[in-house]
Amino acid sequence: MNLLLKLIVFIVPTTFLLLFFMILTNEDTYPGADYDQFLIPEFELKVLDNTITVNNDLLNGDYVLNVWASWCITCIIEHPYLTSLSKNGIPVIGLNYKDEQEDAIIWLKKYGNPYQTILHDYKGNLALDLGVTGAPETFLISDGKVIAHYQGEVNDQIWNDVFLPIIKDRKMF
Amino acid sequence: MIIEISHFLSVLATGLFLLVGYFSILTPSSNSSYISNLIVRTYSHGFFFLLSSFFIYVWLAITDNFSVQYIANHSNTELPIFYKISSIWSAHEGSMFLWIVFLSLWGFLFNIRVKNSEVLKPKTMGVISFILVGFLIFLLATSNPFVTILPIPPLNGADINPVLQDPALAIHPPTLYLGYVGFVIPFASAIAFLLYGDSKINWEALVKTWSVSAWVFLTVGITLGSWWAYYELGWGGYWFWDPVENVALMPWLAATAFIHSLGVSIKSSQLRIWTILLSILVFSLSLFGAFIVRSGIIDSVHAFANDPDRGLYLLGFIGLIVFTSVFLFILRLSRIQSLSRIKKFSKQSFISINNILFGALIFSVMLGVTYPLIYEFLFDQKISVGAPFYNAIFIPIVVLAAIFLFFSVDSKWSRSINFKFISAPISFSILFSLAFTLFVMQYFESQNISILASIFAGSLIIFRYIYEIINFIFSKKFINPFSVIAHMSLGLLLISISFNSLLSTERALSIDLNSTEAYKDLKISFKDIGVENNANYDSIKATFLVEDQTGRTFNLKPEKRRYFTRGQITTETAIHITFLRDIYITIGDQLDDGSWIVNIQINYLIRWIWLSALLMGLAGVILVFSNRVKT
Repeated sequence: MNLLLKLIVFIVPTTFLLLFFMILTNEDTYPGADYDQFLIPEFELKVLDNTITVNNDLLNGDYVLNVWASWCITCIIEHPYLTSLSKNGIPVIGLNYKDEQEDAIIWLKKYGNPYQTILHDYKGNLALDLGVTGAPETFLISDGKVIAHYQGEVNDQIWNDVFLPIIKDRKMF
Repeated sequence: MIIEISHFLSVLATGLFLLVGYFSILTPSSNSSYISNLIVRTYSHGFFFLLSSFFIYVWLAITDNFSVQYIANHSNTELPIFYKISSIWSAHEGSMFLWIVFLSLWGFLFNIRVKNSEVLKPKTMGVISFILVGFLIFLLATSNPFVTILPIPPLNGADINPVLQDPALAIHPPTLYLGYVGFVIPFASAIAFLLYGDSKINWEALVKTWSVSAWVFLTVGITLGSWWAYYELGWGGYWFWDPVENVALMPWLAATAFIHSLGVSIKSSQLRIWTILLSILVFSLSLFGAFIVRSGIIDSVHAFANDPDRGLYLLGFIGLIVFTSVFLFILRLSRIQSLSRIKKFSKQSFISINNILFGALIFSVMLGVTYPLIYEFLFDQKISVGAPFYNAIFIPIVVLAAIFLFFSVDSKWSRSINFKFISAPISFSILFSLAFTLFVMQYFESQNISILASIFAGSLIIFRYIYEIINFIFSKKFINPFSVIAHMSLGLLLISISFNSLLSTERALSIDLNSTEAYKDLKISFKDIGVENNANYDSIKATFLVEDQTGRTFNLKPEKRRYFTRGQITTETAIHITFLRDIYITIGDQLDDGSWIVNIQINYLIRWIWLSALLMGLAGVILVFSNRVKT
C-alpha cells in the first residue's frame, strides 16, 4: 500500500513534467518564429456552392486567405476593406469557417462577394491546422506556404503594418 | 537613473533571500534563537528592499518615465493614473514582478505574525525564501522589467490594450495572484514539517488561517475574472473552460479539498497524508498556472509572449520544487501515517470521500488542459476539448459530492452514527427538494436530466441547512456559521448555474433606426445612434428603449470604440440588470440597407452565480476573523 502510494506520487508528476519538457523542446511548438517553413497541411474541401472539391493545388501561387463566417460580426466591419483589396487586383480566397452553407450564401448576397474562391470548412479542420482561433483571421500565402498570419480585423493600418512590408520584400502580386 | 536603483534593490533582495534560505535550511543550527532572529530580520530587510523596488517602479509608471522599456510599451501619458499603475500588470514582465512581490508579502506577514518560538518558523521562512530566489532569478534573467531605452527615450508610450482599461481587470489579476501565491504558506510549512520529521508538531493548526485567507483571494479573484470576461470581453457567459480559467480552477479545487482535509488533520491528525499531498498539490498547481500562461504553449486571451526559454526555466524550477517535495514526502511517509482508522459515517469519512471526488475533478481538468497538447505532439493535429467533456465529468461528480455533503451534515467528528434515512431533517429536505424539482420540470417543461439532477442536489443542500438554521433559532442547536454559509452558497451556485443554462437565450437581430423589434417578452426600439469623441478613443453609441412584459421601460446604450494608439476596436456591452435576469445587448455593424446588427442575450440568474461564489468567499472571511478573535 505504501509502496503504491510512493510510486503514484513519484510517477504522476514525472509524467507531466516529462511531457511538458518534450512539448517545450519540440520545434513545432513555436512556429511563429519560422513562418517560411509553415507549409499548409494537406486538405480536401468543397467550395461553398458545393460544385467542386479542391485541395492544396488551389493555393499554389500568391494569395490572401481570409477566414470568415456569417455569424462573425467583425467580418462585416472588415468586409469593405477586403472588397477594396479585391478591386485593386489582389486575389483573396475565402475560408468559410464553421458556418451553414445557406447562411453564408445569403450573407454574400447581402454584402457582396470579394472572394475569388471560397472554401467551405464546415467542421473547421483546415482552420484548426492553420492555427485559427476565431474569425476574422487573415493569412498571406505564397506557393502553398503561410508567410504571415493576422488574427482580427484587417484594415488599412494593419495591411500597411503587417502585410505590405512582406509583400514588397518578396515582390508578391 | 532611478530605474537602476529599483533594479539594484531587487538584486539586493534576491541576495538576502538567498542568505535566509541558506541559514534556515542548510545550516545545522537553524533552531538556535540567534540564527532564527537573524533569519527573521534578514527576511524583513529583503522584503523591504523588494517592496521599495516595486514602489519606485510604480512611481516611474505614474510619472511616465518612458526610458523604461516596459513602461514605454504598456503605458501612455493619456491614461488616468489608475490605469498607469495597472498597466504594470498588463503584460508578462510587470505581472511577474507583482506576483513575486505578493509572494514575499505573504512571507513577510507570516514572519511578523508568527512567534519566533514556533518551531517550524525558521524552516518555513527558508522554503519561502528559496522559492523567492528561484522566481527573482527568473524575473531578472529571462523577463527583466528594468530594461531601459537609452539614450533617447520615446516621448509617449504605446498604451495598454484597451480591453485591459477596466476597473475589474485592474483588480482581478492582483486578487488572483494573492490567492495563488498565498498557498506558499501551507506549502512551505508542510515542507518544514517534513524536513523536521517530528510527527508531534501540529503544522496544520499553524497554517489554517493562512490557507483560508489565500482561498478567499482565489475565490474572489476567479469570480472577478468571470465577471470581467462577461461584460468587458463580451463573452456573454460566466465560464468557458478556457485553458486559463482551468488553470485557476485546478488550484481552487485542490485548495477547497485541502482546507477540508486540514480541518480533519488539526482535530484528529488523521488524513495527514492527504493534507500534506494536497498542500503540495495546491502550490504546484498554482505554479503550473504560471507556467501555462507564461510559456506560451497555449493560445488564450491570457497567454503572454511566446518564449521557450522562459517555459524551460519555469518547468525546471517547478520540477525542482515538486521533486524535492515528493522526495521528502516519500522519506517521511512512515512517520506521518496515522494509526487510527477512520470510523464509518464520521465527518472524517465524508471528508475523505470529498478528497477523492475533488481529486477526480482536478485530474479531469488536468487531462482536458493537457490532452490537446499531447495529441498535437503525438499526431501533429490540433484538437480542442470543450464544454461537453467537462460537463460530462463535472455534473455527475459534483451532484454526487453534493449528495454526500447532504448526508454529512448529520455526521460527527470521530464517531460513527446510525443513519436513519427517514429522520426528520432528511425527509424534510428530500420532500421539499423533490417538490421543487418536479415543479421546475413541469413549469419549464424540462426533461434535461443533468439540469434537474443539479437542481435537486442544490436544493437538498439548501433545505438541509435551512432545517439546521430553524433548529438553531428554536432549540439553539449549535451551527457553524461559515460551514452553513459556504455550503448553502454551493447549493445556490448549483441552482443558479442550472437555471442559467435552462432559461438563457440569445439572438442576433437586424434593426432599423426608429423601428421596433420583438424578442421573447421584450420590445426593443432603436432610438438613436451617434459618434462621440473621447480622450483616447472614438465611439459609436446606440440607444435602445426596451420595454418588458410588465410595461417597464429602460434605455440600453451599447458602444463600439476605436482606440487611437493601437487602432483596436472594442465592443462595449450594455446590460440591464434585474433581480432574476440580465438583458445584454451588443451592437454590430451597419448593413447596406441602413439597419444595424444587434445581439441580444437574456441571461437568467447570472448575478446569482457570482453572488454564490462571493458568499463562499464571505464564509472564508468569517472563518478567518472568528479564528483571529479566538487566538
